[in-house]
Amino acid sequence: MEYVTTKSKDVTLLEVLDRVLDKGVVISGDLVISLAEIDLIYVGLKVLISSVETMERLRGAPFASPMQEPT
Amino acid sequence: MKSQDKGLIYLYCLTNKPPHQYIGGGGKIPKLKEAEDLVDNAHFLYYQGLYAVVSNVSTDEFSEENLKNNLADLEWIKTKAGIHEKAIETVMKNSCVIPFKFGTIFNTEENLKIMLKKHISKFKDTLKYLEGKEEWGVKIYCDIDKLKENLIREDKEFLNIDKEINSVSPGKAFILKKKKVELVNTNVNKKLNDYGQLIFEKLNQHSIESRINKLLPKEVTERKEEMILNSAFLIKKNKVENFMEAESALKEIFQEMGFFLDCTGPWPPYNFCEATTYGAKRTPACRQAGKLYG
Repeated sequence: MEYVTTKSKDVTLLEVLDRVLDKGVVISGDLVISLAEIDLIYVGLKVLISSVETMERLRGAPFASPMQEPT
Repeated sequence: MKSQDKGLIYLYCLTNKPPHQYIGGGGKIPKLKEAEDLVDNAHFLYYQGLYAVVSNVSTDEFSEENLKNNLADLEWIKTKAGIHEKAIETVMKNSCVIPFKFGTIFNTEENLKIMLKKHISKFKDTLKYLEGKEEWGVKIYCDIDKLKENLIREDKEFLNIDKEINSVSPGKAFILKKKKVELVNTNVNKKLNDYGQLIFEKLNQHSIESRINKLLPKEVTERKEEMILNSAFLIKKNKVENFMEAESALKEIFQEMGFFLDCTGPWPPYNFCEATTYGAKRTPACRQAGKLYG
């Protein structure tokens, strides 16, 4: 069966921060970008960083919602 | 390989297919032909049945200190991350890949091989697992004001409160107005969760694995609506059509209520390359997952 299996997939800033810089295998290479360095990108974007929690939310834990299975 | 200004090895991804289909000439090192205009000197390094897709990068850009400086430059990041993605996508056209995080760099080929040796069986298992599957992303946004308006219009309770507000004393009306705002907000939150979950569950029926990732702020999404769900799905290639049909149907249904679905793919399996979570459904995003390899 022939069908189109690609959708709009620009490598936008959103996808850069959500995938390319954030996911993928992380190994103990000689040089790996740290979380603190990725935080600097958010600061550079002038995302208001008012508290530690905000930063955690931006780069850390997914939001709490009923969609998650209880741990 | 040892030229002065190309002293580092940048790793894009791993694959298990022989790279002969990419070889341009009769050179010793197989080259990643299609990505040549993007990635300077991208090529394959073979190690025990695995092919690492790498390129030689300059310390001017990628030494620890210079990389840190460059990370402050958004345009630089966008360009380089775009190259990272394109290089992996080029390989992905013909074979299964394990994508590495942006900026995974080795000082020498020897160091890269030491890393490969350490994790070789995990990498091979992961590649086997990912064969014939694709990663797709769905982000849901909501125009909260539109959702609010719809809720107020459709829920009789709000009409009743409005009527009451008009017929009682100013003091009581004040309290009622406050109560209405609270009620609207509670309802909005409930709907965001309920609808978000409903859409996710419907899409998830077509996936093998899924992830719920962190929400991103408007500065990053560059949209006026709020992101309310950020999800990724690993889907069998022959189920992708079903997945996309489901996504289109949901998109149409929920648009009326102020929800927008943004579906993209196929991506390199950035969200699904941890070898130990095979088969796990609806695993909440685990930021530390990558450390399994560390």
